[in-house]
Amino acid sequence: MTAQMFFIGFFGLAGVWFGIVVFRTYSMVRSALALLFSQTALGAMFLSMQAEFLGVLQIMMMATEMSIMAIFMVMFMMDPGGLGEMDMTHQKRLSLGVGITAFVSAVAVAVFVDWGPLATTAPDAVQQTADLGLELLGRSMLIFETAGVTILTAMIAATAVAIQPVKKASCHES
Amino acid sequence: MTTVLILLLLAIGAYFVAVLEAWVSKGRFQLAAPLFAAIALLGRESILPRKPDRLFFEVGPVLLLLSALLAAAVIPLTPNLIITDLATGALFINAAMVYVLVALLMAGWGPDGAYGMIGGWRFLGQLIAYAMLIVMPLTAVAMRAESLVTTQIVVSQAGLWNIIYQPLGFVLFFIASMALAFLPPFDMMIAKGELAGGVEAEYTGMRLAVFRLGRLVLIITLASAIVIFYLGGWQGSGLPPWAWSAVKILLVTAGMLLAGRFMPRIREAHLLYWCWILGIPLALANIFIVGILVLEFP
Repeated sequence: MTAQMFFIGFFGLAGVWFGIVVFRTYSMVRSALALLFSQTALGAMFLSMQAEFLGVLQIMMMATEMSIMAIFMVMFMMDPGGLGEMDMTHQKRLSLGVGITAFVSAVAVAVFVDWGPLATTAPDAVQQTADLGLELLGRSMLIFETAGVTILTAMIAATAVAIQPVKKASCHES
Repeated sequence: MTTVLILLLLAIGAYFVAVLEAWVSKGRFQLAAPLFAAIALLGRESILPRKPDRLFFEVGPVLLLLSALLAAAVIPLTPNLIITDLATGALFINAAMVYVLVALLMAGWGPDGAYGMIGGWRFLGQLIAYAMLIVMPLTAVAMRAESLVTTQIVVSQAGLWNIIYQPLGFVLFFIASMALAFLPPFDMMIAKGELAGGVEAEYTGMRLAVFRLGRLVLIITLASAIVIFYLGGWQGSGLPPWAWSAVKILLVTAGMLLAGRFMPRIREAHLLYWCWILGIPLALANIFIVGILVLEFP
């Protein structure tokens, strides 16, 4: 139990640290990969909490997503390499305030909500995977399908907005 | 003990891959050539480029090796010769392999050179092409085994190997594995004739040796994955299980290396087109067919 607590704490702190690194670097690629390792640390926290499927899934999904984010940041930011040490942050007071409020409320929720009786033992990993599958195809199906379709719609909309309209060359031009 | 043994086997396997690759590409079978090449690389100066992103530059090759090794941890060579039999084995292989992309991005970005960087981004384009063709055939494999545990997947093929049960999935997974291991014809990111070596361009000496070792281990790990997912793993009659594993892995590796020899290189944009227009519908059809087969003839 103590080893488990240690690793949860360790990966939690690692996640927070990489999250800070995201804003402490000028390089966009470093920033994106720091976010990746922050998320990987969260995956490792899942693993420490014996939620094997969720942990492996988190570690897998984030690698692709953050890498794709890295190329978008390189494409659209003015100083992707960070060699010019250009400051990319803005509205610092507002974001600090929002960040601290969110942090305090998250901690308050974690501490003050009655979570019910604590589970003393987790089911074994094979059973967890099966349970998760049944859950996703049962009670939670509607929520997940809604989320999935929403994300797909957002992606198609974002692509449609990003593509430049192609003007058909008329015979008068050229 | 198992870990040490598997690491040793991986090292031997990587050596054989190097011999095979030279045999296939240069037409000469030289058993000692990789040894001399390694000594030459280790003896050469390891040049640090000007203004590198030092962290990425150093971590890239190591991460490549590490992700291939992690994936190998859940691959059973015999019923008992496996480092850890995770409940999410098939997913774990996939998760470890995604970090090949992260490693190549780091190695490409790190040295602050145009060729390396473009090579790294090219691999990102390639990942978007092949990724679904890794995951979807694996889904069909897991559906038949009713488990993600790799040993269970092998046992599920006792009656009939998956290569016969779901040949479409095998072909897709095989092609996607070649793209993942950036073997020819999918080697636009490190090919000598393209971008002067691409991701490898700025690496020399020790760091290049680690990068190349990582790639060899990656190839052998992927060949082992194909064997356990589609070729019945250690199963077979007449030979002991470890021998069957070894023979099959070597044959698959030779197949992967040979298959690319007679094809022109495919640009990642074209690969993307074909994978999404043809590959993903085929992979979906494969899941559908296997679903019906599992219900009718388990």
